[in-house]
Amino acid sequence: MNKEQARQTIFEVLGEIAPEVDPATVDDSSDLTEQLDLDSMDYLSWMLGINKATGVEIPQRDVSRFLTIEGAVEFLVAHSG
Amino acid sequence: MIEFVLPSLGADMDRAKLNCWLVKPGDTVHRGQIIAEVETDKAVLEVECWDEGVVEELVLSPGPTPLPVGTLLAHIRPLEGAQARPSPKEPPMEEADIVPPSTRPSPRRETPSPPVRHLAHELGVDMARVAGSGGVGEITREDVRRAAATLIGQEHRVKASPLARHLAGETGLDLSTVAASGLAGLVTAKDVRAVGQSPSAPPGPAVESTEPEGRAETMRRAIARSMARSKREIPHYYLANHIDLDRALRWLTARNDERPISGRILPAALLLKATALALRKTPDLNGRWVDEGFRPSDAVHLGVAISLREGGLVAPAIHDADRLDIDEMMASLRDLVNRARSWRLRSSEMSDPTITVTNLGERGVETAFPVIIPPQVAIVGFGRVVDLPVAIDGQPVVHPVVHATLAGDHRVTDGHRGALFLDALDRLLQEPESL
Repeated sequence: MNKEQARQTIFEVLGEIAPEVDPATVDDSSDLTEQLDLDSMDYLSWMLGINKATGVEIPQRDVSRFLTIEGAVEFLVAHSG
Repeated sequence: MIEFVLPSLGADMDRAKLNCWLVKPGDTVHRGQIIAEVETDKAVLEVECWDEGVVEELVLSPGPTPLPVGTLLAHIRPLEGAQARPSPKEPPMEEADIVPPSTRPSPRRETPSPPVRHLAHELGVDMARVAGSGGVGEITREDVRRAAATLIGQEHRVKASPLARHLAGETGLDLSTVAASGLAGLVTAKDVRAVGQSPSAPPGPAVESTEPEGRAETMRRAIARSMARSKREIPHYYLANHIDLDRALRWLTARNDERPISGRILPAALLLKATALALRKTPDLNGRWVDEGFRPSDAVHLGVAISLREGGLVAPAIHDADRLDIDEMMASLRDLVNRARSWRLRSSEMSDPTITVTNLGERGVETAFPVIIPPQVAIVGFGRVVDLPVAIDGQPVVHPVVHATLAGDHRVTDGHRGALFLDALDRLLQEPESL
């Protein structure tokens, strides 16, 4: 999975949870929960959706990498083989 | 003959439009089966039937006219040997008392095995709509396959989420013309909105421009009615307590470290479970105020305040919350939040909470002072978990601490009872492994 594919998957899943989000307005390096008003359940559902879509497991110690789009993309590219 | 009437739909929701039937005359219905979809000011709700029998007649057709709670909707012929439940004659608020908790399908009893759940997921079948034919009503693989076949056979009914159906209804959009993106060909609200925004959309008012504003207004009115009634009628008292979460969060983190993401537990599930168990010690906080008197509830149906992304709030119940283990509590919470945010709540979830919990800590609030939702008699609030100095063996150490609050109804309890509840809550959270 390259960066572009990872980013696309990430936003597809995000669209299921927060349909009103326009990817063009999201700052890739800022805290997502603050930017998009996600609560902990939204955040968990988003990571679960990414896990289901890609098969990539997200260990508890790496959850904080998903606080930004940038971090999530990097993690997926590194772990999706 | 059983009269199936429009059930109570929660505080200050006394009427609803019949959106659609999910059964037809001649169909056999089982206890707990969802048989219709209605729409109130606050939500689209799936209505369960609490009797067993065969649908004799659908008295009313779907339509835009709001119907009062108690309106006769259908006649159901009881199955041979089955006991018919008496027709509700009580006022709306008492529906939950008419359906005693003991007659509800137990969450444990209904939980299907993982292979059955997997099959349902694969076939796009909603387990809540499947009647179980196995022992004690358990759903079998055969039940799921039958339900999937029925879905395919329902050519006249496009598979769509309730919100999608509502949005399409507002604009007269034919759902069969909408490209579906959901699981197993389900048309989602996003799909309908996409049609409304598409340049090639059929003529008609744009969905996005009209719907959210109207919906937000009607929901605000419903909340205003309920909260004004609460402040007018309920003499609130408020108590607060700092609870040290060091042990609970350490336990949770260690547990989550060992699990895949699908098995992880959020702190909210722990707080809900502890609340449900603490109520066993103070049952006079759990129930409803009806006809100038308190009616305690044997079952703990824990209302959970869920904010909606479009604005507004709903507080549906997790049934029998004190009987769920921590994994079941987490699964129930996740399911409830997802369904609330996609407009797929059930009528019983809205009508029968016996107490509510609001967790405003998510939004950075340190202390919540919640308002009781009538006819309930108490509400519990949790603030943000903050690091604070606490004294351990006379020494100051910094621990994660949550501010727990209780608003109680002085017509039923005094501060002393409320204090016992907060104390029990604190003790339970110091022994997370027993939750």
